[in-house]
Amino acid sequence: MKTLNPLDQIPVPRPAADEVYTADMFGRQFSFVGLKRLLGAADYDKAGDRNAGLAARDEAEQEVARSILSSLTLQHLYDHPLTDDAGNADSVMRVNYDIDRDQFRPIAPMTLGQLKDHLLNCSGDEVSRTGRAMTGVMASALAKLLDTHELIYLAKKVTCVTKARTTLGLPGTLSSRLQPNHPVDDLRGVTCLIYTGLSLGAGDALIGLNPAVDTVENVSAILSHLDSLRKRTGVPTQICVLGHVKTQLACLAAGAPVEIMFQSLAGTESTNLTEFDISVDLLDEAYRTIAERGALKDVAKQFMYFETGQGSEFTYGKHNGVDMTTTEALCYGLARRYDPFMLNNVTGFIGPETHLDNFEMIISNLQDHFMGKLLGLPMGMAPCYTLHSKITLEGQQMATELLAAAGANYYMDVCLNTDRMLAYFDTSGHDDQTLREIYGKNPAPEFLAWAIDRGIMAKSPNGRVVRGPNWGNPRIFCASDAEFQELLRATPALYGLEHAGPRPAERTTRELKLNQAVARQAIHSELRLDELARVAPFRVLTTQATDKESHLNSPGLGARLSAESTRSLRPESCDVQIAVSDGLSAEAVHHNIANLLPVLKDGLDAKNLRTGQPILVRYSRVKVAEHLAECLHAKLVVLLIGERPGGDALASRSLSAYLVYHLLDAEAQKKAAAFSNNSHIRFEYTVISNIYSGGLPPLEAGSVIAEKAGQILSHQAAGNRLEAMLKIPGKIV
Amino acid sequence: MDQLHLLGLDFGSTTSSAIVASARVLKNCATGRMELGQPSVVYRSELTFTPFADNRIDERSLAGYLDRWISESRVDPTAITAGGVIITGLAAQKTNVTAIESLVKQRVSQALFATADDPCLESWLAFMGSCLGLSRAHPETHFLNLDIGGGTTNLALGINGEVLRTGCLFAGARHFQFEPGTYRITALSADAARLLKDLKIDRSIGDSVPPDELRSILDFYVALIEAAVCGDRSRLDHDPFRQHEQVPFVPPPEVASPVITLSGGVGELVYAQTRGQPPPATTAFGDLGIDLAKRLLQSPVLSQHLRTHIPTNSGHATVYGLSLYGTEVSGTTLYLPDSGALPLRDLPIVAKLHMNASAGDVRLAVDLVGRAARGGCIEIDHGIADFAAVKRLGTELAAALRETRCPANRSLVLFVSQNIGKTIGSYATDWGRLPVKLIVIDELATRSARFASLGAMRDNVVPVSFYGMQ
Repeated sequence: MKTLNPLDQIPVPRPAADEVYTADMFGRQFSFVGLKRLLGAADYDKAGDRNAGLAARDEAEQEVARSILSSLTLQHLYDHPLTDDAGNADSVMRVNYDIDRDQFRPIAPMTLGQLKDHLLNCSGDEVSRTGRAMTGVMASALAKLLDTHELIYLAKKVTCVTKARTTLGLPGTLSSRLQPNHPVDDLRGVTCLIYTGLSLGAGDALIGLNPAVDTVENVSAILSHLDSLRKRTGVPTQICVLGHVKTQLACLAAGAPVEIMFQSLAGTESTNLTEFDISVDLLDEAYRTIAERGALKDVAKQFMYFETGQGSEFTYGKHNGVDMTTTEALCYGLARRYDPFMLNNVTGFIGPETHLDNFEMIISNLQDHFMGKLLGLPMGMAPCYTLHSKITLEGQQMATELLAAAGANYYMDVCLNTDRMLAYFDTSGHDDQTLREIYGKNPAPEFLAWAIDRGIMAKSPNGRVVRGPNWGNPRIFCASDAEFQELLRATPALYGLEHAGPRPAERTTRELKLNQAVARQAIHSELRLDELARVAPFRVLTTQATDKESHLNSPGLGARLSAESTRSLRPESCDVQIAVSDGLSAEAVHHNIANLLPVLKDGLDAKNLRTGQPILVRYSRVKVAEHLAECLHAKLVVLLIGERPGGDALASRSLSAYLVYHLLDAEAQKKAAAFSNNSHIRFEYTVISNIYSGGLPPLEAGSVIAEKAGQILSHQAAGNRLEAMLKIPGKIV
Repeated sequence: MDQLHLLGLDFGSTTSSAIVASARVLKNCATGRMELGQPSVVYRSELTFTPFADNRIDERSLAGYLDRWISESRVDPTAITAGGVIITGLAAQKTNVTAIESLVKQRVSQALFATADDPCLESWLAFMGSCLGLSRAHPETHFLNLDIGGGTTNLALGINGEVLRTGCLFAGARHFQFEPGTYRITALSADAARLLKDLKIDRSIGDSVPPDELRSILDFYVALIEAAVCGDRSRLDHDPFRQHEQVPFVPPPEVASPVITLSGGVGELVYAQTRGQPPPATTAFGDLGIDLAKRLLQSPVLSQHLRTHIPTNSGHATVYGLSLYGTEVSGTTLYLPDSGALPLRDLPIVAKLHMNASAGDVRLAVDLVGRAARGGCIEIDHGIADFAAVKRLGTELAAALRETRCPANRSLVLFVSQNIGKTIGSYATDWGRLPVKLIVIDELATRSARFASLGAMRDNVVPVSFYGMQ
C-alpha cells in the first residue's frame, strides 16, 4: 500500500496576484489576465470553455496564448498555483503538488516548449519520470501545445501496468471493463449482459456496474451476485459496483465482497465537496480501508478505480475559472495519490454544453489520455456521447481508433454501445475486439488463458490469438437455452446476438442506428403549436434560448423566461400552474399530452384546486418552472417536459412531470430549510418520470400527477420531505 | 424490493406435494410490466401418496403432512404472501374435499386460494411449470403440454409463454389400481368401469387383467390422447371417447403440428425411459402408470419430440406452476384508496365489459356485483384506451354505482389489462367522492377465470391469483 503524504506536509507556493501575459503579434495586441485565462485561451476550442468565457475568441488569439504558454518555465507554473474563487489553493491543487521534487529540480528551468521537445526526443521511461515531477496544471499546459500526432506519439511511449486478479496495461494488451448497467438493476438482465460481454472476450479489466439505486442493501446484493457469477464462470477478473465511496465502505463493513473501490472525481474541491460529497480525507480513508480489508487485499497491488471526464466542474458552476482540460488534469493529480488500478475517462458524457461535436470530443479524449499517462495513471478511455450533442457513433469510433493507437489500457464494454441506465453511448465489446484485431492486441494474460479454455478465444497455428468457436455465444454460460431466454427477457435494447467477424451483424447495426436516429430526431424536433392548440388553450411563452441550438448548447438560457414573456405575466396566485415544454424531446410532448392533460385537469378540478390557463414554453429547461412560479405567484407548477432520449426509439417519446412546490408559506419554508440543510431553499421538487406508452402511460400519468399535486398542497411539502411524511402518516417534517 | 414467499400445494389422485418459492417484485424493462421475477424454490417436499381412507380424504394424515411440510420448509407461515391449493383428479371427487381447504387455511392465513376439479387451471399451471422456459426459448414454436397424472390428462397449447387453449381428458394412471407386482384389480374409478363396459371387458375388483385386455385399455387411452392432440372431433364427439373428455381441447386451426411435451407422474416415467433408465417393476405403484408410459413411447404422434424438447419439472409441473406462476402482480399505479381493504379472498368474477360497453351493460354488471354476498369483480376487456373512451367508461361506472346503490361494504374489483387503473378508478368514483369500495387492479388479465383472490399490498403492487378457469 502506498504511503499517503499528509496534506499539510505538501508544500504549495503562496498564491500571488494574477500576472498579465501580453503579446504583440502582427500589429494586434493580446492580453491575458492571469494564468487561468491564458490556459483557457491556449486550448482547442470547446463548448464548455466557450460557455465559461475562457476560450480564445479566434484562432490567432489561441495561437498567441500557446506561444506565451510555450515560453513559460515549469518553475513559473509551479510558482502560480491556480486558486479557487476565494483566492486559495484548494485541497485538490495541494495534492497536485505532491510531486517528485528531485526530478523536478532539473526540469524546473525548462520552458514548456523545451519540455515538449525534450519529451518527444527522450525514452518512455524518461517521460514517465518527468511526469512524476509535474502537477496537473503543467500537464494540461503541455497538452495544449501538442497536435494530434504528438498527443498519440507521446502517450504511446508510456506504459502503466497495474495488477489485481488480472494484469492491465502490459504491452500488446487491450483490456475492457464490462459495464452491465440495467435500468432497475434487474439481476437477470445484468447476468445476460455479463454473459454476453464475457463471450465477446470483454471484462478482463473489471465487471463494473453503475447501480440504479445507491443503497447499501442494493449495492451489497449486486456485489454478491457479481461475485457468484465470477465464481460460477471462473473468469479471472475483478468486480465492482460503482456506488458512492461511502456506500461501498458501508458494504465492505457489512461483509460484502468489495474488491475494487470506485469513486468519481472532480478537479476542484468545491465540486468534490458539494456535488460528489467527497474530500481528500474520505478518499484517504477509502484507500486505506480497501487496501487493508478489501476482498483483494492479498491479491492486488492496486485497489482504487476513479472515473473522470472533462467538464463536470463547469457543469456544476464550480470550475473556479479554470478551463476543462486543466480541471481534468487536476483530477489526475488527485487520482495519482492513490496509485489506482484503473482510471476511466468519460469525456463526452455530459453533453453539448461541454463538448459540442466530434472534434471537440476526440481532441479532448486524446488530451486526457496523454495527460493521464504522463502523470502515471492506468488510463482507460470511454469516448462517449449523448444524443443531444452533435457527436456521432462514427466520431466516437474515430476517437477509439486514435486512442488505441496511443496505447489506452482499456475501453468499456457497453453492450451494443447503448447504456440502458444512463442514456448515453459508449464503446462496446464488439468495438474492443475489433480494435484488438486491428492493432494486434490481446486481453490480459490471465483472462486470455481462461477465454481460450472456454473456446471464446483460440490460438491459430501460427500462434496468433483469434476469436474462438464460442466467441459471441453467451449461451455457453447457461445450463439451457431456456435459462438464457429467461435472462434475455429482462434485458432491454439487446437488438441481436449475431455477429459478422468482430462486428455486430448488419441487421443489428441497422436497428441500433435506426433507434438512435429516431431518438436524435426527437431532440431536434420542434413543438407544433397548431396541434397543441387543439389540446388546450395554451398561452405560449419563450425563454432566453432563441433557437434550438442555443437551447441545447447553453442550458442556462432555457432556465429563464425571455424578457417579453416575463413582462406578459402577472401574479395570479393559483394553486397549480400547468406548463408544457419541449425540453429535450418535443416528440414526447406530442405523443403524450393529448391523453395526459385532460385527465390532469379533471383531477385538479375535482380537488377544487384553482389552476391558471395552461402555458406552453418553448426551448426551456426544468428550472424555468421556478421562474414561472415566481412570476405567477403560483403555489405549485406542474411542468410537463420532454426527457433526454436514450437509444430506444420508443423511449425517446418519454415525458417527465416536475412538480415544483413554491415555498411561499414561511412555516413550510422553515421546515424545508431544516430538512434540506439549506436555509435559502425556495422550491421543492417531486418528479414523475418515464411517461410514455412503454412506461407510465399518459392516461394513467394524468391521475397520478393530480393525486401527487393534491398531496403536495395539502402537506405543504414536496420531494423527499413529502415522501417522509407520507411514509409515516401524521409525521410532520 | 422484498422477497415474496409463495406456496403451492397439490393434492392429486396419486400423490401430493408442496413447494414454497420466493420471488421479487420487479419491473420488466423489456415489457414495462411488473412481474414476480427471479423465482426460486425454497422448499420442495417429497412426493407423498395422497391419503385416502374409506373413499374419503384422510384428514388426520393430511394435517400431519401439512405440519411436516411447513416445519421442513422453515418458512414462517405468516410470511407466505400468496399461493394456492389445487385438488385434482380423483382427490377432487371425494366427499370431504373441502376439508383440505380448511386445514390449509388454519395454518396459512394469507390470501391463498383453494380450488378443486379446476381442469383448465391445472392445464395452465402444468404448462407454466413444465415448458414455460422451452416455450420462451423457441418463441415462434407452438408447444402442447400433456400433463398425465393419476386421474386426468390436462392439455395446454401455448406460444412464447402464453397459453392459448386448454382441455382435459379422463385419462390417467390411477383409474385402474392393482396389487403391486400383478394386474389384479384392487380399485376401479367410475370412469374405468365405464371404459371397461365400452371395451366390452367384463372385469371387476379382484379380477386379474390379462395382457390382451390390458393392451386394449392402454390403446384406448393413447388413442384418446392422440385424437385430442390432433383435434380429431370426428372421434372425440362420439362414444366412447366423448365420455372421457372433461373439457374439449380445440386447437386453433392454424396450429398444425405443435411440439408435444409431457408432464405429470406418467410424463416423468416416459422421460425416465427415454434417458435409458429401466422401468420400475410391474405395477410397482399399484396402478397403470408404468404401462401407460411404455405405451405412450410407442405412439409416433406423442413421442416425436421426447428427445429433442425436454421440459423441466415434468413430474411436479402443476405444483411448480402453482407456486411459481399461480400468482401474478398488479401494476404499481392501481386505484386503491384504502390498502386496508386487502386481502380479499375468493371473489367471483361476474362480468366482462368492453371498453365501449353500453350504459345498460355497465349497470347490469355493477348490479351483479351488488347482489353478490361480498362483492365481486368485473374484467374490463381490451379496447382502445384513449382519453375519451376511458372517461366515458369511468363516468358510466360512476353513474351505475350511484343508481344501483352498491352497498358500501361490498367490494367491487375491476381488472384492467392496460396500465390505466388509477385513472379509470378516479372517474368511476367521481375522483373519490362516491362512497363505494372500488379497487382497480391494472396490468392483469383474468385468463377467463371465475374467481380471484387478492393478497395484501406489498411494494406498491397487489398479488392476485385466478382460479376456476372456464
